[in-house]
Amino acid sequence: MTRVPLLSMRGISKHFGAVEAIAGVDLDVHAHEVVALVGDNGAGKSTLAKVISGVLSPDVGLIELDGVPVTISSPSVAHDLGIATVFQDLALCDNLDVSANLFLGREIRTAGMLDDGRMEEITRQILRDLTSRIPTARTKLSTLSAGQRQSVAIARTLIGNPRLVVLDEPTAALSVAQTAEVLTLIERLRDLGLGVILISHNMNDVRAVSDRIEVLRHGRNNGSFGATASYEAILAAITGATHYDVPAHDGWSTPR
Amino acid sequence: MTAVAGLQELFTRNLRQSGIYIAFVAIVGLFAILTNGMLLSPGNMTNIVLQYSYILILAIGMVIVIIGGHIDLSVGSVVALTGAVSAVVVIRAGQPWWVGILAALAVGLLVGAWQGFWVAYVGIPAFIVTLAGMLLFRGLTLQVLNNVSLSPFPPEYQRVAGGFLNGFLGGQGIDVFTLVIAAIAVVGYAVSQLRSRRGRIKYRQTVETMPLFVLRLVLVGAVVMAFAYQLARSRGLPIVLIILGVLVIAYTIVTTKTVFGRHVYAIGGNLSAAQLSGVKVKRINFWIFVNMGFLAAVAGVVYSSRSNGAQPAAGNMFELDAIAACFIGGASTTGGVGRVTGAMVGGLIMGVMSNGMQLMGVDQSVQQVIKGLVLLLAVAFDIFNKRRVGASR
Ligand SMILES: Nc1ncnc2c1ncn2[C@@H]1O[C@H](COP(=O)(O)OP(=O)(O)OP(=O)(O)O)[C@@H](O)[C@H]1O
Ligand SMILES: [Mg+2]
Repeated sequence: MTRVPLLSMRGISKHFGAVEAIAGVDLDVHAHEVVALVGDNGAGKSTLAKVISGVLSPDVGLIELDGVPVTISSPSVAHDLGIATVFQDLALCDNLDVSANLFLGREIRTAGMLDDGRMEEITRQILRDLTSRIPTARTKLSTLSAGQRQSVAIARTLIGNPRLVVLDEPTAALSVAQTAEVLTLIERLRDLGLGVILISHNMNDVRAVSDRIEVLRHGRNNGSFGATASYEAILAAITGATHYDVPAHDGWSTPR
Repeated sequence: MTAVAGLQELFTRNLRQSGIYIAFVAIVGLFAILTNGMLLSPGNMTNIVLQYSYILILAIGMVIVIIGGHIDLSVGSVVALTGAVSAVVVIRAGQPWWVGILAALAVGLLVGAWQGFWVAYVGIPAFIVTLAGMLLFRGLTLQVLNNVSLSPFPPEYQRVAGGFLNGFLGGQGIDVFTLVIAAIAVVGYAVSQLRSRRGRIKYRQTVETMPLFVLRLVLVGAVVMAFAYQLARSRGLPIVLIILGVLVIAYTIVTTKTVFGRHVYAIGGNLSAAQLSGVKVKRINFWIFVNMGFLAAVAGVVYSSRSNGAQPAAGNMFELDAIAACFIGGASTTGGVGRVTGAMVGGLIMGVMSNGMQLMGVDQSVQQVIKGLVLLLAVAFDIFNKRRVGASR
C-alpha cells in the first residue's frame, strides 16, 4: 500500500510495574477504514486504546499521524489531533446531564461563560443523527440505561469533527437492537471518511463491520486478517493455537 | 400538566431541593412560635445576619470543596490566622484598615495555594492535608499573636461586619434605601427566573405551570421584602449582607455558568471520567483550595471586624458549622452534588436554630445535641433518597 496511513504505530510498548501490557505492537489505520482489535482478556487492547487517546504515554514506540510523528501527551492533545475515544469503563459523569457529558473537557463558551443553550442544540442534533432514544439533552446520566449511556459515550466522540475514533467494547452491554444501531453508526463513521478502531470480543460484530482484523495476544501482534477470514482462524490466533510472526507492514502475515 | 400534577412533580422529582426550603420555612415558623415572635423581630433578624455571615461565607467555599469530592477541616484556623494577620497589621503596626484587609486576603490565598499544592499535585487526601492545616494555622495564629488577643480595630474596620448602609433615601423610622435595594434584588431574581424558564421552554424541558411559577416568585418576593422591611425598621442594610449577597451571586455564576464550575462537578462526580475527558484535574483541585483560602480570609476579616479584635481561639469549630451547612443544604458526601444556594439555606437553618434556641435560653449542651442530630438526619435523608432513586432505576 502506498497510501500514508492516518495512524501508524510502530513498536509500542507499555508496562505497569512488572506487567508488560503491550510489547512492540504495530498498528496502521487508514482513513475510510474500520480496523478491529481483538484478543483475549488482558491482551492489552484497552492499554493500546489509552495510548492512542493520550491517557497513557508509551514507554517506547513511534506514533505517526498522516506520516508526521506526534506525541499524544494528554487527552486534550489527542482531541486537538482529531482522535476521539469511547473508553471501556464508560468515562461519563453520572451527576451531569447528557449535554454536559458530551462537551466535558471541551465546553463551548460565549463571553467566558458556558453556552449551555448552544451545547444543547448540538447535542440534540447529534442525538437525532444517532436516532438514539435519549429523552432530552438535559437528562441526568444517572437516570439512563446502560444502552443509553453507551449512546451518549459514542455521541461524545462526534464532538469536534474527529478523524480517528477509538471504540473500546462499545457493544458490550447492549441489546441486539442497540448493537445493530452502534454497528450502523460505525459504518456511517467510515463513510464519513474517518478511521475507526473497534475493540470487541464479539466476532459477529467485528466481522460485520471491519475491513481488517488485528489480533493481540499477551501484548503482542498475533495476526492480521481480512474481513472474510474464517472465524476459526481468528479464534486460533486469539487463543494462541496459531502463532504469527510480527506482521509484515504491507500485507497479511502468514502462520508460522 | 395540571396544577396538582405540577405540585406532585415539584415535590417528588426535586424532593431533595424543595425539601430543604420547606424545612427552612418550617424551622423558622417553629422557632417564631416558640420564641413568641422574638425570632422575627427587626433587631433579631439583623442580629442573625451579622452573627452567621462568616459561616455562610465559609459555606460558599466549602460547598465547592465538597462538590469536588474533598473536605476542608482547616477553615476555622484560617479564619483565626487571617484575622490575626489583619490585627497585627492594623492594630500593632498602625496601618490603614484596608491594608489589613489586603494582608488577610493575601495570607488566605497563600494558605489556599499551600493546601491546594499538597492535595492537587502531591495527591494527599484533603482530609489529611487540611487536618494538618488545622493544627498548622492555629499554631501560626498563636505565633503571630504571641498568644495574646489584639484589639480594638479602628471604626472603619469595624464597619465591615457592624456597619449599615441607610438613610440615603430617608424614611420615617423605616429605611427606604434598604427597601429599594431589596426590591431591585427581587426584580432581578424574577427576571433571571423568567429567562431561565423561557430557555427551558425553548429547549422543550419540563417547567412548572405558570400559576405555580408565579406563586413561587410571589412567595420568594414576599419573604425577601418582609425580611428587608424588618431590617429597615431596625438599623438598615448591613454592609456584610451586601458582601454576602455579592458573593452568593458571584459563586452561583461560577458554579453553574463557568467551565471551572462544570469541571468541579465532573471531578466530584467521576474523577477518572473527568481525567479521561481532558479535564485538568490537578489545576481544578488546586484552585478549589485557593478559592477556599480566599473565602476563609474574607470570613476572617468579617469575624475579626465583628469581634473587634483577634483572639488565638477565634474561629474554633467554624469548619464544622460550614460543613454541616453544606450537607444540610443538599451536598452529597460522595461529591459531585451540591449548590451554593442550598448551602446558604443549610447555613441559615443552622443559624436560625442556634439563634432560636439561644432566645429560648436552651442550654449550650442541648443545642449541640440538637444540631448534631439535625446534621445526621439531613445526611441520612440524602442517603435514603439516593437508595430510592437507585432502586427505581
Ligand atoms: N493501570 C494499570 N495498572 C496496572 N496494570 C494494568 C493497568 N492497566 C492494565 N493493566 C494490565 O495490563 C494488561 C492488559 O490490560 P488491558 O486492559 O489492556 O487488557 P484488555 O485487552 O483491554 O482486556 P479486556 O478484554 O479484559 O478489556 C493486563 O494484564 C492488566 O492487568
Ligand atoms: Mg479492555
